[in-house]
This record gives sequence, C-alpha cells and structure tokens, in this order.
Amino acid sequence: MKILPSICPACNSQLKVKSLICEQCQTEIQGQYELPPLAKLSPNNQAFILEFIKASGSLKQMAKLLKLSYPTVRNRLDEIIERLKLAEKPNENNGKENL
Amino acid sequence: MNEISTNIKTTPNNRLRQWLFNPFRVVAGYKALLSGLAIILISALVGSLGNTHFDGVLDVHTGTEAPLWLFFAEGLINWICMVVPLFSFGLIVSRSSFRVIDVLGTQALARGPYLIAALVMLPDANRRFSIYVMSKLTQTASTATINYIDMLVFALAMIMTILVAVWMVALMYRAYCISCNIKGAKAIITFIVSLIGAEVLSKFAILRLAV
Repeated sequence: MKILPSICPACNSQLKVKSLICEQCQTEIQGQYELPPLAKLSPNNQAFILEFIKASGSLKQMAKLLKLSYPTVRNRLDEIIERLKLAEKPNENNGKENL
Repeated sequence: MNEISTNIKTTPNNRLRQWLFNPFRVVAGYKALLSGLAIILISALVGSLGNTHFDGVLDVHTGTEAPLWLFFAEGLINWICMVVPLFSFGLIVSRSSFRVIDVLGTQALARGPYLIAALVMLPDANRRFSIYVMSKLTQTASTATINYIDMLVFALAMIMTILVAVWMVALMYRAYCISCNIKGAKAIITFIVSLIGAEVLSKFAILRLAV
C-alpha cells in the first residue's frame, strides 16, 4: 500500500484531503478535509505510536522492544506529543513544519 | 522496528561513538545505577592503592594516605553532589516528567572515565613527583629528588587525566539532557551552574569529612 503523504512535495505545506472514493461502487466525495492529527505525523512517528499502543502504552516495554533506555523512549514520546499539539493548531502551524 | 527506534544508522563506528559519548541512549535506570556505583567504588579502591583522591566533582589529586572509607565516601559524595542540583534544575526547567532513578543512574555511570584517571595515577612516579613539587613550592627541606622518567610519567598521567575529565563532563551533560529531557541553552546554562555548585559543595563536604 502507498504511504499517505501529508506534506506537499513542492512547497512543504500541510496537505489536505480533497476526495474520498468507495472502492465498491466508485462513489466519490469531493471537498476539503483536514487530515487527522495522527496522519500528520511522519511515518516514523506514526510507527512509533502504533507500537506504543500495541505495547499497551508501556514505556518500559517499548524500551525493551526498541533496545533503548527508558528516558530515550519517553523523550521520543514527549517529542511526538509536542508535534501532535502543533498538529491540532492548524492555523498557527499552517503545516510548514514536517511533523 | 529499527526504523522507528532511531534515525541514526547503526554502523560499528556510530555504535562505538554512542557507547563512548552517549551510552544513556541505551542504558539508564537501575542498570546504569548498579554499573555506575560499581565503577565509582572500583575507582575509589584503585585510587586508595595509589593514594589518588577524587576530592571534588572534577578533582583528581595524589599524595595523602587515608583510610579506605574516605576514598569510597569521596566517590559517593561527588556523585550525589552532582545529582542534587541537576535533579532540582530538572524539576524547574524540564517540561517532561522524569524519574529520579534515571538521574541517579546516568550520573553514576557518567563517572566511569575517572576509573581510567585512578589507573593512570597508580604508578609511584606520580607520588614522587608530587612530593618533589610540594617540597619546592613550600620550600621545605626535603631529600626528594626527581628524575626524567618520573616527570614524563607524571606529565602523561596529567594529560590523560585532563582528557578523561573532559570526557566525564561530556558524559554528565549528555546524562542530564537525556534523563531530564532538557535541550539547548537551558540545558547548557543549568548544567554549568550545577557543575560549579556541585564542585563547591563536594569540596566543602569532603573537607569537612577529612578533617
């Protein structure tokens, strides 16, 4: 499956969803939709969050899984939380930063 | 899994650099605390064999004979004196929550390079040269003589000690940044203030203990 891009390759701005399509009946909905905050994160950070949820939100387990120390993993999570907070403020951020 | 863990390619060169200058990326908490404490105590033991005193967070001095417990106490005081201000600054400056065990563990492990300082100060040439210099400085009547080999050994030990001191400070800084999640100017300023404070505090504490 292709990776959903969230940043414009031309100007580095935040992309929005313009159309959605039903694979079954080909119904297409057009509009301008915001990407959900998690989808605005980089694929690397999305993968981290996915693994974190699978680990029941246990930083200790994540540290074991990634072979990193507990504070390194916690700092990474804090960084992602900061990015998510930025992603929730689309007007202030305006998507200029690669999350 | 590796792609989410790190953006740094794990070449043998990078791995070596990480282990030398930022082991806290992979080691913290109890593991770091136990290995760090072991290193502090071994350094004190080796120091006692060559009468090398760590009488301050950054200090390495040779010369005075003392009971073994004093060497151990010096090591532990230096470590705690560094942890207290860093932890306090962490509480004030950091926007993250962090564990005291990580600050304790990483700061203990960061003192690892001083084991090398204790080892390079072991040769008796260092003690002989120190006695000679002290007798010259205080202009006391002494039979202390010096030869070029002693001087060379002492010079090499000094160079090594300066290098490991720089290495230790770099490790203590990285340990602080990772364990308290502080970066940039805030980290640099609070670390320097902590280091100066810890140096004064440890000097005072060890002096009180030794008297």
